[in-house]
Amino acid sequence: MYTERFDKRNFNELRPMEAETGIVPNAKGSARFRIGNTEAVAAVYGPEEVKPRHIEKADRAVILCKYDMLPFSVPDRAKPGMDRRDIEISQVITNALNRAIILEEMPRAMINIRVYITQADAGTRCASLTAASMACADAGLPMRDLVAAVAAGKIGDSVCLDLTKEEEDFHEGEGATDVPIAFLPSKNEIVLLQLDGRVSKEDLKKIVEIGKEGAMKIYELEKKALKRRFSNESKS
Amino acid sequence: MINVKNFDIVTPGELLSDERNGGNGTYEEDNKIYSKFLGMIQISDRGISVNPLTGNYYPSEGDDIIGEVTEISSKYWVVDINAPFYTRLDVRDVNFRAELGELDKYIEIGDMIYARVFRVYPNNAADISMRGTRYGKLESKMITRIDSVKLPRLIGKEGAMINMIKEATKCDILVGQNGIVWVDGDESSRSVALSAIKFIDENYVDTDLTEKVRRLLEDVHGKI
Repeated sequence: MYTERFDKRNFNELRPMEAETGIVPNAKGSARFRIGNTEAVAAVYGPEEVKPRHIEKADRAVILCKYDMLPFSVPDRAKPGMDRRDIEISQVITNALNRAIILEEMPRAMINIRVYITQADAGTRCASLTAASMACADAGLPMRDLVAAVAAGKIGDSVCLDLTKEEEDFHEGEGATDVPIAFLPSKNEIVLLQLDGRVSKEDLKKIVEIGKEGAMKIYELEKKALKRRFSNESKS
Repeated sequence: MINVKNFDIVTPGELLSDERNGGNGTYEEDNKIYSKFLGMIQISDRGISVNPLTGNYYPSEGDDIIGEVTEISSKYWVVDINAPFYTRLDVRDVNFRAELGELDKYIEIGDMIYARVFRVYPNNAADISMRGTRYGKLESKMITRIDSVKLPRLIGKEGAMINMIKEATKCDILVGQNGIVWVDGDESSRSVALSAIKFIDENYVDTDLTEKVRRLLEDVHGKI
């Protein structure tokens, strides 16, 4: 039984969040997103000429995304460079952003996205996706919507929002189920849904519902962070 | 129903209105108008439009731009004009007689040129030309850059802002529509002009920017 969470949060409560844009001066757009002890830094370059040439699309832009965990981001050193997991996460981020960015407006162009995890404590793919979508908006790319992503799940038999690493490794009872979900909040569209563990149909519905609530809170924070650079009040 | 008002800042995907009156920087889905950019709202008779606050320069026909020569082939120069794609300046489109195969005699790599966009392709690539007496080579040391979305503020209403800077500093200023600015003048007045441009770059969302720049120019001028 899992009646109280390890960090004393409510079951539908997010960890403390922080978001910031315009942190990489050389990039067209950039963003940092922190949720609890997970932190992602994203930078966007482009639109620019496609390299390598053979992935060019005549009618739309291509997104090239690289997700990487920095060596010091986890307790035991992460090997630098892309491993199998990094390649998978890069792919799911690309797929989600394909729906969010209006690629048809930039034919034969490439958008380069780099996401680095400086600290990892579960939910890195969701943090990366949130940071990447903010960076794309900051770069001035035409977009249908921002992406707000959060991991929900089930620990023991209670449905939880925003799992930590400690909770993901929970082994008593039914164990832990991790479901990363990404939304286009104002369109009510799901662009990423993965599942690691076991869950019943009814519980999955509950998990998606609780994830949506959390994503809306993240969306509000994203909007605030993007607008902050351009409002007069923050400067004084 | 219109959900926003003039000068509001919106993020991509924000619902603007449920009438079909979207202009630039918006898109329509299920008969509703959404914002496409992180930008500022402008409402006019023609509808709601969003002016992006960040982003790239996209060339359009007739733009006067400043670019840097990055490569030379036997028949054309390759020019970086701060847009998604490099452009070509063909040997037939210059205002002097150039010998084929010896193009580096006239314009070298690293030189800045002032030219006009005369053709834009569907993918936002462009061809430029230097035909006409206004166009030519520029001294590359006198270049500064500003985001192209901020240019309207640098120029001001009917050139009010840029003319004010020109008059106050006695500098020659040439603004390329791609966000590259060429400033010519003596050492001290150039640095004043550059600081004014930098001020606009940093504070371009402020209201009454003209007044603030005027004060800045007077301040610095007093010290010289």
